[in-house]
Amino acid sequence: MDKRFSLQLLNNDWAGPALISLAAVVVISILQPSFLTPFNILVLLSAIAVNMVIALGQLVIVGIGQMNLALGSLGGLVGVCFVGAIEVLGVPTPVAMLMGLAIGVLAGMANGYIIARTGISAFIITLASLQIFKGINLGITKAQPFYGVPDIVKQFGNTAVVGPIPWLIVPMLIAALGLWYLFRRLRIGRYILAMGGNRQAAELSGIDTVGTDIWAHAISGLLAAAAGMMLVARLQIGQPTIGDDWLISSFAAPVIGGAALSGGHVSIAGTFFGVVIIAIITQALVLFSIDPFVVQIVLGALILWAVGINRFREWRFAKMVTAGA
Amino acid sequence: MGSLLEIRHVSKSFPGVKALDDVSMTLAAGSVHALLGENGAGKSTLIKIITGLQHPDSGEVLLDGAPVRFNSPREAAARGIAVVHQERNLVPRFSVGENIMLDRLGAGSLSRIDFAAVHEEAARWLKLLDLDIDPKTPVSRLSVAQMQLVEIGKALSLKSRALLLDEPTASLTPAESDALFAIIRRLKADGVAILFVSHKLEEVFQICDTVTVLRDGRNVCDSVPLAGLGRQDVVTMMIGRAERISSRAPRPRPETAPYLELRRFSSALGHREIDLAVRPGEIVGLYGLVGAGRSELAKSVLGLHRQTGGETRIADTPVHIRSVADALHHHGIGYVSEDRKGEGLILMHSVLDNAGITVWRRLAGRLGFLHGRTVARAVRPVIDRLEVKTPSLQQTIGNLSGGNQQKVSVAKWIAAGVKLLIVDEPSVGIDIKTKAYLHDLIHELAAGGTAVILITSDMPEMIDVADRIVVMDGYRIKGEVENDRNYDRVSQAIMTHIHAQKAA
Repeated sequence: MDKRFSLQLLNNDWAGPALISLAAVVVISILQPSFLTPFNILVLLSAIAVNMVIALGQLVIVGIGQMNLALGSLGGLVGVCFVGAIEVLGVPTPVAMLMGLAIGVLAGMANGYIIARTGISAFIITLASLQIFKGINLGITKAQPFYGVPDIVKQFGNTAVVGPIPWLIVPMLIAALGLWYLFRRLRIGRYILAMGGNRQAAELSGIDTVGTDIWAHAISGLLAAAAGMMLVARLQIGQPTIGDDWLISSFAAPVIGGAALSGGHVSIAGTFFGVVIIAIITQALVLFSIDPFVVQIVLGALILWAVGINRFREWRFAKMVTAGA
Repeated sequence: MGSLLEIRHVSKSFPGVKALDDVSMTLAAGSVHALLGENGAGKSTLIKIITGLQHPDSGEVLLDGAPVRFNSPREAAARGIAVVHQERNLVPRFSVGENIMLDRLGAGSLSRIDFAAVHEEAARWLKLLDLDIDPKTPVSRLSVAQMQLVEIGKALSLKSRALLLDEPTASLTPAESDALFAIIRRLKADGVAILFVSHKLEEVFQICDTVTVLRDGRNVCDSVPLAGLGRQDVVTMMIGRAERISSRAPRPRPETAPYLELRRFSSALGHREIDLAVRPGEIVGLYGLVGAGRSELAKSVLGLHRQTGGETRIADTPVHIRSVADALHHHGIGYVSEDRKGEGLILMHSVLDNAGITVWRRLAGRLGFLHGRTVARAVRPVIDRLEVKTPSLQQTIGNLSGGNQQKVSVAKWIAAGVKLLIVDEPSVGIDIKTKAYLHDLIHELAAGGTAVILITSDMPEMIDVADRIVVMDGYRIKGEVENDRNYDRVSQAIMTHIHAQKAA
């Protein structure tokens, strides 16, 4: 039974990462009981909530078979615009929030439109827009943070709904469930995966590839914007550096969660546990006061491992396709 | 019956070449129309013009007698013209049903998909084709033939009145092709106009009613009934002269020691108990149905897949081939891939770079510097000898015709001076003239002492070229047939070997 059991687990995108998460929690809490204090769990879940939304922003683009390098710089731009609008322009908080989301969507649509129309790879286009968003960010902030974050926003980012469950989990749940439904049930979600799975087939089937590209990048931009503002709430400050360090983990989590980097296959639950693993490792290294550079090395190794596993899966999948029934 | 789709005096030029010159063709409802021509004759361009991927410089396309001008295949599909392309155009991770209904999953981007309805509708089309496939099956589980049929189902589900099939049997076994023909006949009876593009004349005569032949972008004939035409008439129209019937005499088996010998060879892919020997100057054919493991055997010998048992001997010495580089540089083995575009050539690179890639290592100077002129000197004679039609060695190979591309993919191994050449499906998508040329070339190489393994699913080709034919099935060798060029006897013998194991 062992063999069949492990094979089944290997087929399931999220079971492996879930087991690893669980094992990590058990090991770390034995070594360091303070790991499971309510406060620490609250901190951990807050980090997970923000990082999950970031990872989902990348997951959409991975699903269509592309990369979004501008995710972090867009999130950062929206973060400072959000606080700046409140502090400098006196815009009411809910309006500022909607503005922030709108900026994310519009910037994403611009990315998608240029990628689809020019046929230049998303890697190049988002590399350019990364630079542009960052430049606008620095132009607005003069590299100085905005401090005028309203209290309600600060509270949202640092208090609990109940017990150790932070409010930040709420937007994360909305994003995760929404995206799960989108990929499962909505036409646009299936089109994104169809294009990621076989772009030519999608095109010849009469799918509007330009529109689908724009949609995918708009959703990605929306999630980047949400994550940027969530991070403002958590940090209680409009830091111009928000988003600078999103790139690696935004890819690592979906990949650990079983997404095919070539596109066409994603897992929301897998991505969630990918985020959890990264968060636990990061926190554990802090708890055991290990040098932060080790976090980077471990994260890099984790990506290699996950890519290896996915590569194996894709190889097996390809073999299945060519072998036929 | 009236004409459903009519092409009238269409011309189309590309920079430097007139692809179509005053071409006409008429498709009638309820008939199967063959579109024939050698590679580069203009068939693909004509199909692209019908489906709106390209626009004619002059002339017009008429649907039901009225001129139409499509801007994309979507528009053509909306008016009932569907194409089944040569490449597989399905999303492997999606279900059969979702693939069939892909462009009709919902009214708007945010519409919720009713999968039950999607699969139910898809099941209707599968049933129409007599296909016993659950629409919920992922496409990745299907065989190549099933995928082909699903694509036809998809085309039909668009309520197509005109169905353009581009080389639909290229990757099908004879039995699968027959199943496809049964379906084509039924569609014909239902009044669908079918355009059938194929290089296999046997099939054309089997199911087509009328024929249009193109040569060098012009009509040789325009929609004439096929009845009354003989195979030779059609061939003469296609190539401008009569086809040469195989008249090669059987060649005696060389008495020399084998160059390559496999003894009880097994591979990680599942080959078992493979015993095979190829002598210098000998052409050994590997015949089998799709999935028999022939290309896979070639790739295992080349070191692309692991050898798990048995022995590989080169010139009577046991060897272990670890990589393709190893196979080429130490053992003189070359492989002409069946997947010319995917594995054989670097389409963006020049003819020179493609043909020279195998000799770079040999020609590079002491410091690893490589001179274009040195490579050109090594490559030029081979390119000339193979009559590759290219403006210059600097031409990007993707711009050459399929036949010329294939010549270059053979040329690079000749330039490398290999002692064993494995040729995998050399004439897929190649016109008759180039095909005959390639056959001559293989014989010439063998006469010069090169050992050749020929893998092909084309029985006439096999019997024309090979000295003896080894039959494979299920990753094992099932038997061997000495080729005396007696088509009926040899093909019988081959089939007996394949079916003997089916019964067992």
